[in-house]
Parts: sequence; structure tokens; C-alpha cells
Amino acid sequence: MTSPRRAAYAVTIVGAGIVGLFTAYQLARAGAGPILVVDRGFLSGGASGRNGGGVRQQWDTRATVRLARESVAAYRRFGREFGYNIWFRQSGYLFLAETPAELARLTTVSQLVRSEGLDARILDPEGVARRVDGIAPGAVVGGAYLGSDGTLYPFPAIWGVYEAARALGVEVLLGVDATGVTSKDGHVAGLVTSAGPVATPRVVNAAGGWSGEFARRAGVEVPNVATRHEILALEPMRPFLDPMVVRVSDGLYFSQTMRGEIVGGLTMHHPPGTTGGMSTSPEFLPRMARTLTALVPRLGGLNVLRAWSGFYDDTPDGFPVIGEDPRLPGFVHAHGFGGHGFMLAPAASRRVADAVLRTPSDLDPEQFGPQRFFGPRAPAAVERLQLG
Amino acid sequence: MTADSEMVEPAGPRFSFEGRPREARPGDSVLDVLLRDGLPNLQRSPHYHRPRAPLCGLGQCTNCLVRVNGRPNVRACRYEPAEGDRVETENGWPSRRFDALAGFDLLFPSGLDTLHGFRRPAWATRFYQFVVRRLTGFGAPPSSESAARLRAPPEVRSVDVLILGAGRAGRACAARLVAAGGSPLVIDRARSLEPVSGAELLTRTTVSFLPPRPADGARPFEVLAYTEPARGLLLRAQRVVVAVGSYDASLLFGSNDRPGVMTADGALAMAPRGGPPPFRAAIVFGAGDRAAEVVRRLEAQVSALVAPGVVPPELVRVCSDAGVEIYPRSLLVRAHGRSRVRSVELVARGSGTVSRVACDAVVLAHRRVPNVPVLFQVGTRMRWHGDPGAYFPEVDPAGRTSVPGLWAVGSVAGARGAASPLSGDRAARSLLGALPAGPVDASRPEAGPGEFEGYYRELLRRPRPGRWVACPCEDILLKELEAVTAGGYRGVEVAKRYSGLGTGLCQGRYCLPDALLVLALHEGRAPSEVGYSTQRPPVHPTPLAALAALEPQMAPSEER
Ligand SMILES: Cc1cc2nc3c(=O)[nH]c(=O)nc-3n(C[C@H](O)[C@H](O)[C@H](O)COP(=O)(O)OP(=O)(O)OC[C@H]3O[C@@H](n4cnc5c(N)ncnc54)[C@H](O)[C@@H]3O)c2cc1C
Ligand code: FES
Repeated sequence: MTSPRRAAYAVTIVGAGIVGLFTAYQLARAGAGPILVVDRGFLSGGASGRNGGGVRQQWDTRATVRLARESVAAYRRFGREFGYNIWFRQSGYLFLAETPAELARLTTVSQLVRSEGLDARILDPEGVARRVDGIAPGAVVGGAYLGSDGTLYPFPAIWGVYEAARALGVEVLLGVDATGVTSKDGHVAGLVTSAGPVATPRVVNAAGGWSGEFARRAGVEVPNVATRHEILALEPMRPFLDPMVVRVSDGLYFSQTMRGEIVGGLTMHHPPGTTGGMSTSPEFLPRMARTLTALVPRLGGLNVLRAWSGFYDDTPDGFPVIGEDPRLPGFVHAHGFGGHGFMLAPAASRRVADAVLRTPSDLDPEQFGPQRFFGPRAPAAVERLQLG
Repeated sequence: MTADSEMVEPAGPRFSFEGRPREARPGDSVLDVLLRDGLPNLQRSPHYHRPRAPLCGLGQCTNCLVRVNGRPNVRACRYEPAEGDRVETENGWPSRRFDALAGFDLLFPSGLDTLHGFRRPAWATRFYQFVVRRLTGFGAPPSSESAARLRAPPEVRSVDVLILGAGRAGRACAARLVAAGGSPLVIDRARSLEPVSGAELLTRTTVSFLPPRPADGARPFEVLAYTEPARGLLLRAQRVVVAVGSYDASLLFGSNDRPGVMTADGALAMAPRGGPPPFRAAIVFGAGDRAAEVVRRLEAQVSALVAPGVVPPELVRVCSDAGVEIYPRSLLVRAHGRSRVRSVELVARGSGTVSRVACDAVVLAHRRVPNVPVLFQVGTRMRWHGDPGAYFPEVDPAGRTSVPGLWAVGSVAGARGAASPLSGDRAARSLLGALPAGPVDASRPEAGPGEFEGYYRELLRRPRPGRWVACPCEDILLKELEAVTAGGYRGVEVAKRYSGLGTGLCQGRYCLPDALLVLALHEGRAPSEVGYSTQRPPVHPTPLAALAALEPQMAPSEER
């Protein structure tokens, strides 16, 4: 087994998904000192290698719109900065509303997004039909659209950030499990791994769907739950669908990738937890097939090539957890990204780096900090635009 | 068949192909009809628009896809036309014979690097995306009418024993069960087969296991079956016998995707009903039983045998009887010819002497690999065997696998020749309770370095003239696969995600057997350590419409 090259690191990061890798990269660029990333799986084995590649800026709070907008700018630069082409295609995100109430909600979001300087629009059913060729008549009352949202190909993003971080001296150990954290005088002092312990004043929890499990191992409880989400790919076709399409009512989403495959999923409401593993459920393929063909009947003639699943890391209020834990100084949270960690990673990782370096951040700790869960007034669970 | 019916071919359905009328004989596939005019180049490859012709004979490769009545990607080798069908080819522009996009093959002699390329200048991003996005997929999306035609009522059935595969092992198993009063259901993906007496046989049907529901433990198995062209079937089986056989593997060499390169399965399937195959002077690559079989059955159309190693005396005799020239201990380096193979370049192992042999087809008969995806999918414990270089299930003498209720018999479990029906029979006896469970059978071929590891070690040290296509479905080149290891990435899962290999319509059946050997070679470890890629449902491509029809049947397990 590979083991750490050093006995001590300035920062250790648990999880080599897109969040952990981007964080390592930001820290290395900031000259944070020796950095170790451990992952017990293989590169791209977590949610970062299993997602739909959707990147949107239509959010219902200013802070998240801004994080997303910053990430879009970062992904536009990605090819030049990291040497890999992620084929970030800004061909829009289209949210579908089936009832006037849903449309009213989308309109509120759209107005907020517009007020942030983005060209968000509300579409009538004809406008929707123009963008989704073959949509069943009468299926929607309207939609919300933003042309500068889009999709990217997640794998080259992982390779690019991984290689860039390593080129800056970051050590990445794959196949190594982080089993716990040691502390001294109430402050993080080390990380215990299956390849041995290392001394470190900072541990970043970027363990995705397993962040709750790792936080527990470190003795700091977080209210995150992992939920299994399934997704499938249809056989490649010549281009016929531009935007990522998302339906508000059931979380159905689909887009056509650069490779021509339709990739999509929907929310299945599995019991929380990672114990069920990452296979798909028996119900998923038929349910997804029925839902998708009811909306776009012509897709019925396409073959399903494969279905797979991954874990969302969900928080009660739908916002990620970013920041140092006051209960255990030195322990930094970087998780809770639900179904949108890929699109937020470039911007979010800079704030994680801020937390590690203890430099001031523009994030409101009431919205993103871990303390919101154990403060005097815990946040209410809310249903947000958590889709796609 | 009576003398009468042999003389007067009954008329079959009339359909149109590329706008021209054609007539099929009953039972013909579209490909059977087209083959009467020789091997058709039906496809263009997705990236480089290279001409492609059918090669696998099994309904796995992507080289015979056609559009039928507005439905894309229908395999001409599997589809039996109906009266009035409109069959079109899919992805040449303006036509499949003259395809302007074939310019990409010439413009990018060293390949399109979509991983690193097309990043600069920034202002060209949209243009690059427009162009590269068009180099994907085969057909245009289905018409709404074609999708509507796919709505067949779904069916749910419970069976005691399900036998997957109606080859010799599956039949022997079924026969013994029937004799004992059982009524197994037999499923095979082939188009037409002899009936299995006393047992129900579903042809043109592929299957995929659904993951076990947490409450059930392992049984009953839930199996999703799909019968072409439109029927979905949900099977609940107490016990399953996997007898899905083996198939001829591909081979890496320069321009290995040229029309005329085909597997032995393909060559034999394209010589249906004892008719001639679509070539006149083939070289056969291989030196084992399969190569001998091809030479014997198609001797009038085989001109040379190219063997990766020494040729056993028995095969030498077969070849000299048939007037087939022999090139022993040779590396097959490259195929020449553009819209059809015209010759191959060989290098003698050891001496390095180069020779060029004229031919109009290359028949790959060197290595048969077990058809293991469903076994991996259902979680059977597998073991790597150096020869032929593949994973086989671990089974006891009766064919029991590590999964309770699941048997594997015949060539998918390593049984060859006469041992194959015997293994099916033994499984039946153990299903009937006559054979107790035993230890894992140790008489199977042993693990160890195999013949083709050595072959590739020698071959890949040499220069690589021509295009070496590592994954024809996705047009992925060998060097793109090799870039994975060169970039410091290890293991087949990452290789797949890094290169895209194995993600095409055949889901790696055609390309993975060779890719595992190549990765092992470059990573400097045993193929068994490289792993095998996770087999994801539905394992065989299945239309959304057929799956959608099953949805109301998917009651949670408590309600069954
Ligand atoms: C089906 C699906 C579709 C999605 N679609 C989108 C989308 O369209 N757009 C979008 O932006 N997001 C999407 N997401 C969400 C997105 O993929 C995730 O939010 C994001 O990838 C999270 O990245 P991460 O680095 O936090 O986690 P991961 O990529 O999951 O990485 C966490 C890593 O931590 C490792 N790990 C865990 N515990 C330990 C331990 N104790 N020791 C060592 N290593 C450990 C794991 O092995 C894993 O590699 C989707 C997710 C899924 C599942
Ligand atoms: S050859 Fe079919 S997926 Fe690679």
C-alpha cells in the first residue's frame, strides 16, 4: 500500500472528489504548505464521477446565484487553466412548470436571477416546445430559462484539477481510508488513516456522501444524510436537444451530452444512508422510462445503455456546509452539496480554502457555516430548487 | 423440408432499402438480404466516418445499424423486415458511399484529441462544440410514430428454473429437467433456433438482472427480459442457469476496423444456411479449434491461415487438405485497403521478416472469451484465467456459482467441446437435488500468463502503422487507451472514464477483452489486478418504451 511521504502536513483533505481536489488546488496556489489528500476509493469513484454535469445559475438566494456565477466563469476558463477540455457547453437550463403555482415560484427565482445581472427568462409553452423538440402537448404551463447555464463533461474536470494540484506538490493517496481525527487541547492535531497517522493542524471533510460518516468518526456530528440518486444514459444520437431540462414537480432532468447520449434521472425517494451501495434500484429503470417517455414520447424508441447511481450529500436546509467547526477548531467542513456540488465546486472551494487559512470570507456563516445546525435556532427544513 | 419447398422459395416480405425495393425470404434478416450482393458497408464510424461493415454476427457490434420506419439504430443482422418497411442507412453525408465527413479521417491522422484539444482560441469554443457535437452518435432521434409503435403489453411471469442460453449446455440442462417433469423457460438472443423439446423457448431475447431488493435476500431473481422489437418481460425465477456461451474476441492491429475484418462468429453467421460467406479469399487468424472449424467450414473461401504461435499438426493437415497457406508464429500488424481489406501485413515473430498477404477478409478465430457480463452483474465470484485471457465464474462440479440459486454451465464457465452438454446435464441433476454441492472445480484451466499477453507484449513494442481502433463503437484509438496509463491513471474503471472505451452500444463486449490485456501490460501487473468494469443494467440495450411499459408491474416486494 502507498503511504504518506511525510509525517506532518499543513492541511489534510478527506475525499478526492471535485470538492476535495479543487480545495487542494486553491490551497496549493495560496502556498498553504504541504497538502495531503486521501481517498479510499479510486479517482472519480464518488459522486463527482457519477453526475449529470449540469451547471446552473438559477438559484433562489443571492449567495448561491453568485457562487454559481463565479463557478461558470471558472469553468469557462477551465480548458486554458487546466489543459483538459471539459466541453462546457452553455446551451441553457430549462425548468418546467406544470402548474401556475410552480410557474409563480419559478418567476420569483427568475426575477432574483435577473436582478443579479443574468438574462433569465420565463417561457410560455410554445417557447418551451421550441427548445424541447417533441415534448407532449399540454405537458407544461411554462418554464424558466437561462441561456448561459449549461452542461460539462465531469471526468476531464477531475483529471485536470487532479493533475494541476499534483503539479503544485499536492500529494494524493488513493485507496486510503481516513478513519479518524486526533486532537490536542481541543484543536485538530492529526489525521488517522489506513496508511498510518499523520500530524496536521487542519482536516478538511470533503467526503461527499460519506461526510456525515467521517464527521462522526472525527467526533463532530453533522445533520447530513446521504441519499441515493439514480441516472441513466441512452444510446448516442446526433444532436437534437440543447438545454438541460428539469421538471420542478418530480426532479426529472435530462440533457444531451457532447457525446450524443441523453443522460438523465429523477428523484426516487430512497431511504437515506449509504448502506444500500451504489447499484440502481429495481424500480428506477421502468419509472424513469415511463416518466421520460410520457414527457417526450419520441424518446421511447431509444435504447437505454446503462444506469448507475451515486450519493447526494443532503443537508436539512439544502445549503452546503462550508466553514471551520467551532466545536473542533481545525476541522473544516466542505460538504452537503446535494445535487449540485460539481457546479459549485470552483467557487465553493475558494471559501473552503479561506476557512482553512482563516482568512475572511464573503459567505454568510448563518447560511453556510456548520454552526447553523447547532446554534440556538436550528434552520427549518425547506424545499429548494435542488434539482439537476 | 420437402423437395418442392426447396425448389420454390416462398415469397417473403417486400421492403425498401435506401429507397429501392427489396424482397426477403421468410426468416431473412435485413442483413441476409443485403449480403446477397456482398458485404455491405452499412455504417460510418462516429468520429472519423470510416467505412464499417458488419463483423460480429451476434448483434453486438455497431456496424450494421440501420433506421427502420423512423426508428434509429436497429441492427440489420437481427431485424426481420415486415411488408412495406422502410429501411435506411444512418450516418453518411450525403450518402454512406460518399461521405464528406470522412475528411476527418484524413484531417486528423493522429486522431481527434477531444480530451486536450479544441481549447484555444477561446472565441472558437462554440464553433468547436458545434463541429465535435456532430461527430457523435449514429442516427437521428426516433420519430414520434416509430416510438408509438413500440408499445407492446408487458408481461410478468414466475418460473422455477430459467435457463439463459439455448446452446448445447443450456439444451442439455433443459432436456434433463423436462425428462424429470420440469418446465424450464429457455431464453436466447439468437433469431431462430431449433425448439427445445418440452420446454418453452424465447428467442431474440436479452436479459438483465435487476438488483436484489433489500427485503428479499437473493431470491427470487428478478430478471428483465426484452424481446425484440418491443416486448418487455419481467421474470421472477427461483433458480437461474447461465449458459450464455462465449464469443470470438477482437484483435488489435492497424486498421483493424476495415470492412472485411470480422470475427469467426461473424464469418459463420454471414454464411447462412450453408451459403457462401461474403468473401472469396480470407485469411484466418488463429491456431486452435475455432480456426480449424472456420477453415473446414469455409475452405473454398479461405486462402491463408495466420497463426500467432505454432500450428498444431492436426491443423496443418486440415490446411494442406484445403490448399490453405500457413504463416506460423506471426504478428498481424496491419490491414490495407480503404473500403475493403485488400491485404494484410505480417511480421514473423523472432526473425522480424515482413510479408504482405492479399485477402478480402480477415477472420479472427484466435481467442474465444466467455460472455460474462450478466455473471458480473449478478455478483458471481469470478477468477481470471491466463488462457484465453478472461474471467470465468468459480463453479463447483455441478456448475453452482458463489451466488445461491445461480448456476453457470457450458463455455461461459470454461467447459469445452463434449464437456459442455455434460456440464448442462450435471447442473440439471443438481437442480433436481441429485448432486450435492461440491468444492470449486479445480480442473478448470489454470490462472497464469496467457498466450495473448505475450503476443501483445511483442506487438506493442513495434511501430503502429494505420489506425489502431481500440473501441470501434466509440471510435477510440489504442493510443487514447494507452494515454491512460501514461497519464498515471490505473485500473479499468478509471481507464474507461478517461478514454471512453467500453461505453458504446456494445458496452465493452467487443473492446474490453483486449483492453484488459493492454492495460495490464502497460501497468506492469497481472490482468486480474486491472479489474473488470462494473456491469450496469440493463446490460443489453433495451428501448425506453419497453421499460416504460413494465412500470406498473414493478410493485414493491411486499405486495407481490
Ligand atoms: C446521480 C447524480 C447526479 C448529479 N448531477 C449533478 C449535476 O448535474 N450538477 C452538479 O453540479 N452536481 C450534480 N450532482 C452532485 C455532484 O456530483 C456532487 O455534489 C459532487 O460531485 C460532490 O463532490 P465531492 O467532491 O464533495 O464528493 P465525491 O465526488 O463523492 O467525493 C467524495 C470522496 O470521498 C471519499 N471518501 C469518503 N469517505 C472517505 C474516508 N473516510 N476516507 C477516505 N476517503 C473517503 C470517497 O471515496 C469519494 O471519492 C449529482 C450527483 C449524483 C449522484
Ligand atoms: S467496442 Fe463497443 S463499447 Fe467498445
